[in-house]
Amino acid sequence: MKCLWWWLVEPVSRFLDRDEREAVLGDLAESRQSGPRALLDVLDVVIRRQARLWMTWRPWLILFALILPVGMLLSILSRQTSDLSAIYLWMYANNWDAALTHNPGFWRLFAETAVSIFISYLTLACWSWTGGFVLGSLSRAMSTLNSLLLCLILFFGQVIGAPDYFAFFRDKAFGDLHLPDPNAAVFEVGFYRVVLPVIVQILIVAIPALWGFRLATGMGILRRLLSAGLWTAAITTMAVVVMPEVGLWFFMATRIFHANEPSWIWTGIMSGMKYLQPVQFWPIAFLIAHAITQRGLRRARA
Amino acid sequence: MYFAKHHNVVLIMLGEFEYLILSAAFRLQENAYGAAIRQQIETATKRRCSIGALYTTLDRLENKGLIKTAMGDPTPQRGGRPKRMVRVTGKGVRAASEFYATVTRMSRGVSWETQARNES
Repeated sequence: MKCLWWWLVEPVSRFLDRDEREAVLGDLAESRQSGPRALLDVLDVVIRRQARLWMTWRPWLILFALILPVGMLLSILSRQTSDLSAIYLWMYANNWDAALTHNPGFWRLFAETAVSIFISYLTLACWSWTGGFVLGSLSRAMSTLNSLLLCLILFFGQVIGAPDYFAFFRDKAFGDLHLPDPNAAVFEVGFYRVVLPVIVQILIVAIPALWGFRLATGMGILRRLLSAGLWTAAITTMAVVVMPEVGLWFFMATRIFHANEPSWIWTGIMSGMKYLQPVQFWPIAFLIAHAITQRGLRRARA
Repeated sequence: MYFAKHHNVVLIMLGEFEYLILSAAFRLQENAYGAAIRQQIETATKRRCSIGALYTTLDRLENKGLIKTAMGDPTPQRGGRPKRMVRVTGKGVRAASEFYATVTRMSRGVSWETQARNES
């Protein structure tokens, strides 16, 4: 039976290229190394490989220009979505009355709310999948480390980044008015303040993002036309996510460019964005097409 | 990487560890792969050879064109995993030969063994 050390060797070796991983693990198996020795040897190879990769500019560019902003943006959007759904959940949970169930108007409103929450979660999942797909396509050589970095940024984004961003936004927008928070009662409850955002971050953001990441790194070289189509869909989705994010523009305009507020140009772009919104659901179409293609390939092989 | 111009040919000056790997791979011929090279080096030097150092040096040698590597077939004794087979190229043979010749020329007239005995 394999000892604990050997169980650790396997995940650590995932930081290596597939061929190198196979060769290194095979060498270790053949030389019958002890578990701790094998783990140290694999760590040695991984550290040397990573050190060499990080001595070039490309991983740094991917980290600061892609992983960090995408991770932060997804954390902010995740928090926004979970907070919005928390308000509705609290409203229904705290005002539930059996008499309401006899009212057809209640059910209509309930269905509309449920559909709207479902669509907001689905949209968030599509954004996350797209973010992961873009990152995975650009960083195949460092896929395991970059997916780990993305998870870390999502974690810190959830714990520090998103709350800070919203606090800044609230202070700038409403700080002088000293208005009471109309949703304070909702977020006094630990479940809506802490547990729900974490669930949304894990299920609707992290898992789809890692799924997209994994699929992109596992795909071979695509045909030029298909590749161009996927990139167009991914870039349009990212634009649809980023452009209408009024808070983000407000944050950038006031904090980074010290301007008063986003200009009319952005208002025009934002109104134009609504026509591109269906594109953000492209991962669904892509995954269906991918599943059909894979099934066809499996049948052809059989 | 050190380059030296010699007889109108650019020769690559090897490091000590690179020379050890080239020698081990050349000696093993078609049986040259990671674990076997490592064992040869450990036996010859009576020192532990780190697998990380071995694989990064193999990459460096391949980038210099001194060796060629290819994935072999999986074997049961390796848990069904393939070997990374190593073949020394003509350029690698010339570089190793030049290194050996340089060390031999430099060692001419120097009796290290007598000196070491006197020192101890």
